[in-house]
Amino acid sequence: MHKITVVFISAVATAGASDAQWALEQSSLTYHVSHPLHQIDGVSHAARGKGVCSSGECDFLIAVPVKSFDSGDSNRDLHMLQVTRGAEYPLVTVRTKVPESDLHSGTIHADLEVQFAGQTKQYKQLAFQLTATGNEIHLSGTIPATLADFKIEPPSLLSIPVKNEIPIRVEMTWRRS
Amino acid sequence: MCGVSRAENVAEPALEFGIARAVRNAFTPPEFVADTPDPEPQTNPPQKPQQPSLGDLGFPTSATQPNPQEQARLNKRSHMLKMHQRLGLITIAPLVATVITGGFAGGRAKQSDMRDVHAALGGISGGLYFATAYYSIFAPRMAGTKTRGPIRLHKALAWIHGPGMVLTPILGVMAFDQKNAGEKVHGIASAHGPVAIVTAGAFGLAVASVTFKF
Repeated sequence: MHKITVVFISAVATAGASDAQWALEQSSLTYHVSHPLHQIDGVSHAARGKGVCSSGECDFLIAVPVKSFDSGDSNRDLHMLQVTRGAEYPLVTVRTKVPESDLHSGTIHADLEVQFAGQTKQYKQLAFQLTATGNEIHLSGTIPATLADFKIEPPSLLSIPVKNEIPIRVEMTWRRS
Repeated sequence: MCGVSRAENVAEPALEFGIARAVRNAFTPPEFVADTPDPEPQTNPPQKPQQPSLGDLGFPTSATQPNPQEQARLNKRSHMLKMHQRLGLITIAPLVATVITGGFAGGRAKQSDMRDVHAALGGISGGLYFATAYYSIFAPRMAGTKTRGPIRLHKALAWIHGPGMVLTPILGVMAFDQKNAGEKVHGIASAHGPVAIVTAGAFGLAVASVTFKF
């Protein structure tokens, strides 16, 4: 009986720390820019991502082309591409490492390393909501990015600059393989 | 103890051996303790699979490579469109003044100071307008960009105020000459006022279309 129990516990522990991989199935990343005359949301659904789990830890990498963000105004999008140096640094990348045991429904706190516009910024202990369904996990949360974090000069209209805060709303669905 | 000779103490060899082993173990790193068998054979820690890299994500090379030429085009484009925006806003002032003074530029007199002021303001407005247009027309185009949003209306209105800004001063000169000759403005010159108002209106709407959210 003891042997069976030990084998069972070992099997469960092994399954919990498996070398699983995760692929980003769907995503919606939305930045918000605020100006006294305009409230702007730019959306991208073009992010790609991968997660690799080993020894109970999962490394995730997400990348999205800067030019894939659509604010509904092509002129503004091109200007955004210019101020963010999007042709020189065409991708926004996000890296994070989370314990595999945290990948279940609930709130997860993650440290993110974001590379954007040639700058790297660390965000500590950001809260994300996870909803697990079968082999999929839906993640949602907000990255409290600012223009200053990435040394981006605030664009202006009528000589009034936009606000420094550009929160990025994240909605993602990951599939385990 | 005193009554037992060294030869008679049968426990002594075992005690000495035990002490010697304890001393050796105490000063020997654990991995070199020969008489402590490993419960399992030593294995290397599991090799951590490679962390995900950008190459794993399958982006086409063109989407990941820096393109300094394109950045330079974007920079030039933004600079020129900022100048376009700045000059366009500056143009509003003399244009509004031209429209207002236009209301007082008629009259029966051959000579009128207000008519001269109106003509001068019209000339300034025209100069600023074409400088504004230059920065828009010659700003670099970005290949593969489909025009979307309020900028479409902004561009469409240029087909009204552009010809209007060519036609208005021509008609204005004709009307000015007729007035200075003591004639009543007649013929095509009489369209100067209406054309000017439509032109100014289209220009104002073009500015508003990219300034305010409708």
